[in-house]
Amino acid sequence: MSEAIEGERTFADKFPEEARIVRAALLGSFLALTLGAIFGIIQTLHRTGVFRGLIDSTDYYTSLTAHGVFLALSFTTFFLVGLFTWAVVRSLDRPLINTKITWTWYGLMAAGMTMTGISILAGFVDSIEMSADVLFTFYAPLQAHPMFYAGLAVFIVGSWIAGADYFRTWLAWKREHPDERIPLQTFMVLTTMAMWYIASSAVAASVLIFLLPWSLGLIDQVNPTLTRTLFWFFGHPVVYFWLMPAYLLWYTVLPKIAGGRLFSDPLARVVFVLFLLLSTPVGIHHQYLDPGIAEGFKFISMTNTMFLLLPSLLTAFTVVASVEYGARQRGGSGLLGWLTDLPWRKPEFTGMMLAGLMFAAGGFSGMVNAGMNINYMIHNTIWVPGHFHLTVGTAVALTFMAATYWLWPQITNKPIYSRSVGLFQVVLWFIGMALMSNAMHAQGILGVPRRTAEPEYSGFDYPTMFGGFEELNIQIAIGGTLLFVSTVLFIGNLVLTMGNPKVSGLAETLPPALSGPDDAPRVLDNLRLWVGIAVTLVVLAYMLPLAAIINRGGLLGPGVGTYPVWLSPMLDALANAATALLGAIGDESAALVEVIR
Amino acid sequence: MGRNETAHGSANDVSGDIEEFDPIGTLTLIGIYFVILVLSWVYIYYIEFLGRDLVIVG
Amino acid sequence: MHIHAYEKLWLAASLLLILFLLGSVTYGAVGPGVAMVTDSEPAIDAGALDEDERFSEPRVEQVGENEYEAYVLAFQFGFQPDPIVVPENSTVTFYVTSRDVIHGFEVVGTNANTMVVPGEVSEITVETDGPAEYGIVCNEYCGAGHHAMEGKLEVVPQSEFDERTNGGDGE
Repeated sequence: MSEAIEGERTFADKFPEEARIVRAALLGSFLALTLGAIFGIIQTLHRTGVFRGLIDSTDYYTSLTAHGVFLALSFTTFFLVGLFTWAVVRSLDRPLINTKITWTWYGLMAAGMTMTGISILAGFVDSIEMSADVLFTFYAPLQAHPMFYAGLAVFIVGSWIAGADYFRTWLAWKREHPDERIPLQTFMVLTTMAMWYIASSAVAASVLIFLLPWSLGLIDQVNPTLTRTLFWFFGHPVVYFWLMPAYLLWYTVLPKIAGGRLFSDPLARVVFVLFLLLSTPVGIHHQYLDPGIAEGFKFISMTNTMFLLLPSLLTAFTVVASVEYGARQRGGSGLLGWLTDLPWRKPEFTGMMLAGLMFAAGGFSGMVNAGMNINYMIHNTIWVPGHFHLTVGTAVALTFMAATYWLWPQITNKPIYSRSVGLFQVVLWFIGMALMSNAMHAQGILGVPRRTAEPEYSGFDYPTMFGGFEELNIQIAIGGTLLFVSTVLFIGNLVLTMGNPKVSGLAETLPPALSGPDDAPRVLDNLRLWVGIAVTLVVLAYMLPLAAIINRGGLLGPGVGTYPVWLSPMLDALANAATALLGAIGDESAALVEVIR
Repeated sequence: MGRNETAHGSANDVSGDIEEFDPIGTLTLIGIYFVILVLSWVYIYYIEFLGRDLVIVG
Repeated sequence: MHIHAYEKLWLAASLLLILFLLGSVTYGAVGPGVAMVTDSEPAIDAGALDEDERFSEPRVEQVGENEYEAYVLAFQFGFQPDPIVVPENSTVTFYVTSRDVIHGFEVVGTNANTMVVPGEVSEITVETDGPAEYGIVCNEYCGAGHHAMEGKLEVVPQSEFDERTNGGDGE
């Protein structure tokens, strides 16, 4: 009886302070989504030549930087911390330890992203001596205003504290429940954050040791291959950082919405452990066509990358099987006839299913990206953004939007303003992305480069396959426009939802898995072990390439550093590192003294 | 919200189900996906990529 | 740990798929001999390319019977030489470097594609067929004029190549 009453209380009723934090994080995320979508539509129309009146082609790159940073870092990460806060508190059924700490990391992340955002947007205003047109990948020697890098550092530190918040809350729970398995959602959050610590350490080092001092003029130059490699050390696992919250939703929420339950809890744990282990030692696959990195390192990276397909392929099976179970519980029958017995009228269901379908398609283009030598065909062509608009741009973004229709009422006690508009919105996103991404892939095979304001050139015409260049441009423009309309509908629906009165009865529960955690070997919950192996794999994958890169170009770029011939290359590298670091520290303290004076 | 999907020994009452439930539809769908993946890869790698001009040979 | 028989089957199929993909890439490397851009060339001082024998004067040079080397400089916002002229049915090795930021060197519609990083030299060898004209684009964002950065690769008959290189001021 008491359980029944309990079951009717929403997350917002049980944990009002935590619900406030989840709301704040999601709102931050949606603000970034709005900004990102505005730059998205400007770019779509500009690049395809449909409308170039709003910005100059030189400002296109300001817009592109904003689109990338706001969507890939801000939209995704703010949603993630919101979702993870909900997932930890819900699955542990206990409040956070100290919400002052929680608000601190939220404040740091918001402040950091604001700094970075201002430095980017200032690029549109000629009278402000500030810009950061370096794109989301910020490769040196292109240099942004120091505030861009400083903001990123603050943002990342904020996310680190968020992770610590989840770990501490779990440890407190563990003291109260010494013999219990880590609840699945918390397990997913902890493995994801452990991966994030490993991955973001490199970009933090790159920013704090090289890029920020360099942009402040404390050091003269950096080694472009080194900072690029450190970026991709972070840049590939970050895509799994975006994806893991979507997986969490597919594993724990989607089966419930489908009317069933998760097929296998142990396999879900295995999948997250595999992501923790394999997400990071793969970044060099973004550098297949880089000079200065030996082919052997590239091959190792490819092998790791291909095995990283495994957790995603396993996920496809487990998630679809969970949905099929739901359909059969609802009376579905036949080999595939059960597909018609699913709740397709629910935006949260249809949105997540379409997101998963697009992820399956993205899996194929991802395999091509991962293939070492086939990379020659599509490297840096628009095929690549075509790929990641299927993955982060749909598998992640559409899942987040769909999940919002399910989650938002539970953290606000307000029903969604219009669920039918929601359904229309998620389908529209799917159609828009199908058009845009397909045409981007096709243009990529023609050789059309990515990240360019004007992809048409004066000296040559593109070959014609799968439709000509111009025709594909029209498809991209139409697709991009539909995506923009879809985003506007999403945001509009949410704003109107905020005007709804609070009601009761919006609580949702999550059923246990068919094959529960007791079927999972205990060792899966040994996070220390997995983190240890993950770090070892990263060291193995990166130690030699980084040493070789530093040895070739010096820690601070070609022309800097000495190369004593009597030392072995490794010592040489270390010596370079030491002298350069000392030099940097010396310069820095000199500058500090100057500032203090 | 009160029920936790993993914390308690709730697997006992459903552990019979997993043997009964054969996700044959899932196996069919994912089998189709597998075939599509293999065929697309064969096309893009062996026909499109290796058939292009200026293959890098050194 | 319970794993359903179908799921075991899928796990096996997934592993086979991964091995098939790795096998394809290995076949490409061993069979048709597709080689990767690698660390074959030593690092170079990007600030002193004027004094470099190869890149102070970007050009195409004959180095053996039917073998040519093209020394290509990428910069904000163009390539040198432009156009790059090479003879048909020959083996051409491109050495590409940058004097400023990171660029890309992509011969449009072909497999000739490499990153161009200041301080490094990208080495790629291709075999040309009959006469053809290809566009070259920078496919790595390199600054405000990135979209204007293009070049041309012309594969011409041997007689025309001799005529143009002898008549020209390069070589």
